Amino acid sequence: MKVVVAVKRVADPNVKVRALADGSGVDLANVKMTMNPFDEIAVEEAVRLKEAGHATEIVVVSVGPEKSAETLRTALAMGADRGLLVRSDAVVEPLAVAKILKAVAETEKPDLIIVGKQAIDDDANQTGQMLAALLGWGQGTFASKIAIGGAAIEVTREVDGGLQTVNLPLPALVTADLRLNEPRYASLPNIMKAKKKPIDEKTPADYGVAVEPRLTVVRVHEPATRKAGIKVGSVAELVDKLRTEAGVL
Amino acid sequence: MIHADDGILSQEQRLMRDSCRSFVDDVVTPFIRSNWQREWDMSPGERLPSAILEGAEAIGVRTLGVPEEFGGIDLEKETEVRTFALISEEIARGDSGLADKLVQNWKVSIVLRQFAPKHLQEKWFPRLLEDPKFLLAHCLTEPRGASDRWLPYNVPEASMHTKAVLDGDHWVINGRKQFISNGFDASLYVVYANTDPSVGMLQGTSSFLVPRGTPGLTITKCNETMGCRFMNNGELVFEDCRVPADHLLVKSTALASAGQYFRAGKIIQAAKNLGVGVACFERTADYVQNYVQGGRILIKHQAVALRLADMATRIEAVRSLVERAAKAVDEAHPDADILCNMAKVYASEEIMKVATHALELHGGNGAMLEFGIEKLFRDAAIFLHMDATVDVSRMKIIKNMFPATAGKYAGPES
Repeated sequence: MKVVVAVKRVADPNVKVRALADGSGVDLANVKMTMNPFDEIAVEEAVRLKEAGHATEIVVVSVGPEKSAETLRTALAMGADRGLLVRSDAVVEPLAVAKILKAVAETEKPDLIIVGKQAIDDDANQTGQMLAALLGWGQGTFASKIAIGGAAIEVTREVDGGLQTVNLPLPALVTADLRLNEPRYASLPNIMKAKKKPIDEKTPADYGVAVEPRLTVVRVHEPATRKAGIKVGSVAELVDKLRTEAGVL
Repeated sequence: MIHADDGILSQEQRLMRDSCRSFVDDVVTPFIRSNWQREWDMSPGERLPSAILEGAEAIGVRTLGVPEEFGGIDLEKETEVRTFALISEEIARGDSGLADKLVQNWKVSIVLRQFAPKHLQEKWFPRLLEDPKFLLAHCLTEPRGASDRWLPYNVPEASMHTKAVLDGDHWVINGRKQFISNGFDASLYVVYANTDPSVGMLQGTSSFLVPRGTPGLTITKCNETMGCRFMNNGELVFEDCRVPADHLLVKSTALASAGQYFRAGKIIQAAKNLGVGVACFERTADYVQNYVQGGRILIKHQAVALRLADMATRIEAVRSLVERAAKAVDEAHPDADILCNMAKVYASEEIMKVATHALELHGGNGAMLEFGIEKLFRDAAIFLHMDATVDVSRMKIIKNMFPATAGKYAGPES
């Protein structure tokens, strides 16, 4: 079974990012970048499928600037077999990413595609669903558990109020949720070995996909800073303030 | 700032650094912070839970230096020492004792891959790789002399007291080794002993491979230290300890041949020291931006800001020298010996000042065991002595810079 995993290079979730002064976006200059955490989970799941003898090859794909090759290298160090960078320095919206990945899927012919449920930068949560729709494949989104059974895959999904299990014929698409697994660290020996694994480079044009944005960013601004708290002298004062100032009573 | 500049690192170095940092942030630091009493457990074997070494194993930091043909990894040779520096700094940022434990394996692996006969490499490297608890140790220091031995300028009187004599097809070792990193719990030792009392130390010292459990080798105690307490420093006695003749690594010129070990060792030492400094800075920067005194956070008090600036400046100065010295060692520059001693001694004194600032800026909390700052202070203090004292390091620098005068035997002038 061949597995394709898509990964995105994003700002490190532990870093506090700032909006650009002109409000056109987020200031990413000198910000530490990393693999989208949900994509790490997707890579880990693919590697586990390979370790369990289900997957034979893992191809990891990223759409983004030159530096995204480093994100691919991390995935290779975790255990993926080869990489594909679809290079674009401009912002690529989810629909365009989905179209590119569809074209990749048509060439690679995987049995399973795993992607993170969403990227932590724009939180769009669209690519996986759009890709499955474009391919006409079944989709198991927000997966917390998967099990391969013959020519099908059973996906346990985290839905409001509980878990839902769906059975999908392969090929299928899965989007990884937080509890699917705990990704491993890329070990130092595997980082050195990953250096010898191939990364192919293409452009969106190679796949005939136009990446011009369809959306216009009006303004990006930081959330309002929280005001300092106050100490109240008595319960009576607290109740009074909750009633008169906070208006919650 | 404070950390290594990504621009000078290769992609692999960045990824390795990131893995080590995640391991430290997710596993090591939380353990150290919430188990501060463990350091003081007087059963040395119990101090560090095996989960930490297993974690180190999972990211592959225990066995750097083992060649790829034996199942290890070959780092880029031209930047190997710089990679060692980068990784040891990251681990020491979490705990310098843990870093000591691990780097000793790399350093001794360098000696083994260079000098051990092939069949012994084939025997020991796989065992090292298999067992997460397998540690290596390098035994030079003796009760009557360590680095200060180098100062009386290579005369027979300065030779090692531990002696090895060939008896048939075995070498018989007698003597004592003290202050040995990993000495208490290593599985395999590289031991230096005198094999020719008639010549100077550089011509008459040989090195041997001695497995733990060899009859005649006794590990007598774990030295309890003020810092780096998660590395168990040990003392060893050799009484008619017999090792097969093929366990001889280098005959006569063992000390002169171990140059690359010593140079890489000084860099790793300075880099671990830097890691302690970075931890001091990060903890302090966080504290002074949150702790309120006199109605405002500490960092807005100018006296506090000045100290913090001093910490940052010293760390950056140390980093610059360590990077230059590590590059010199990687490139086998003629000044490498001098520079690596400079980096080692400078790091130890500067980071001690950084740790002192950290202690002061934490006020009373700085002195509390559960706060973890006094641990950094103690860990920093050890570096003044470990792998040569400050004064001996300085003597080595001058001996190397002026070999014709300072490097000559300091007996009567002829």
